[in-house]
Amino acid sequence: MNRFLTYSFFLLLFFASCGAYRYPNASGIRESATQELNNYYIDTAQTFVYRAKLHVFKKDMNGNLIVKTLTRNEHRVALVSDFGQTLFDVSLSPDGYELHYAMHDLNKRRVVREIVDIFRTMTTQRHATSAVMFANQQHYYPVYVVDNSYYVLKERRVERIQQTKGTKEHLAIIYREWNPEDIPTSIAIEHKKFPITINLTLDPGQSTL
Amino acid sequence: MNDKLLYLLFFLMPYCGWAQTREMTANEQARFQASLQQLVEIKTVSADFVQYKHLSFMKKPVESSGKLYVKHPDKLSWAYTTPFQYKMVFKDNKIYIDDQGKKQTINIGNNKQFEKISTLVSSSLRGGKYDEKEFAVSYLKQGNANMVRLTPKLAGAKKYIKEIVLLFSPMDKHIEEVKLVEPSNDYTRFVIKNRKVNTTIDESIFNL
Repeated sequence: MNRFLTYSFFLLLFFASCGAYRYPNASGIRESATQELNNYYIDTAQTFVYRAKLHVFKKDMNGNLIVKTLTRNEHRVALVSDFGQTLFDVSLSPDGYELHYAMHDLNKRRVVREIVDIFRTMTTQRHATSAVMFANQQHYYPVYVVDNSYYVLKERRVERIQQTKGTKEHLAIIYREWNPEDIPTSIAIEHKKFPITINLTLDPGQSTL
Repeated sequence: MNDKLLYLLFFLMPYCGWAQTREMTANEQARFQASLQQLVEIKTVSADFVQYKHLSFMKKPVESSGKLYVKHPDKLSWAYTTPFQYKMVFKDNKIYIDDQGKKQTINIGNNKQFEKISTLVSSSLRGGKYDEKEFAVSYLKQGNANMVRLTPKLAGAKKYIKEIVLLFSPMDKHIEEVKLVEPSNDYTRFVIKNRKVNTTIDESIFNL
């Protein structure tokens, strides 16, 4: 009986760890002091207009992505083509969303959910109490963990968000450049499951910063 | 007496001076359509345009600008110059694109809205008629300016366009603004400026 329970325990541990994502070079997860993450979009006085270059299922498209901070945790995000056509317009909150408009080709539940997931991940402020441990800590930047997302910090700014599903990376948001006020001016979004990449460049002339 | 006059003026104010939109009378419509006939002589048009995209939750519109060229019977060049460089040429029933040096030919299906507007712009700039099979046409006056409102009849166009409004200059009767209203009620205004008609347009404008 004891042997059976012991074997069962280790099998359970084995399968549980097989089902979870393992961050590269990580030796484990530790508790940390609460860390505020992704403060880029918390100021309600700001509206961000990005030039967007999208590569979606082998098709290229350009336009503008608009991000307006409604409250600290709520954002309105719209994508508009260069010709002025609204492709989608959605309000995001941590636990839900309200779709104001999606053009016919995008107005499918799975597509809308992916859009919501991408831009919620990009804009939402999080608070982490866990961090990744590395065997050789001095060679790695701090990486905080919130639910299924890993936040890589460089010089105390979020440089990368890696969202996982099961054992695999699902989505990466990479903040590449910032202005002197620490506002991201260049962002790359890479979906790991679907062939979608989005490159965003801040248009300060059209934004309210 | 002065108080009564003041109250009268106050309540009459909404009906004075401000540009109201109303339907044209039959005479006005006939005069307007006659004025469009003069535009049929136009063989070429070149102009600047400014595009304003209005979203309900934004205080100011997203703005871009560029140049357009029309050459009768079927060539249109639409080039954005700020804040990005992007050029489209409609000719020979195809759309040619130059996206900052990256060239391609794309399907009109991806640009239903723009295909409609380009046809309308080309046609309206030259006093063309509106396809009443595709649109319900309303003839309106806004102050001294003539206005045409086109409401799509076909289900395909209705998915992308709620209505198109063409505003004509009260001075020279040429089209000066196109407003595209989407089903969400967001809208895009194209304001046409510095218009020149029947000048020579180099054919290279339409080659990408």
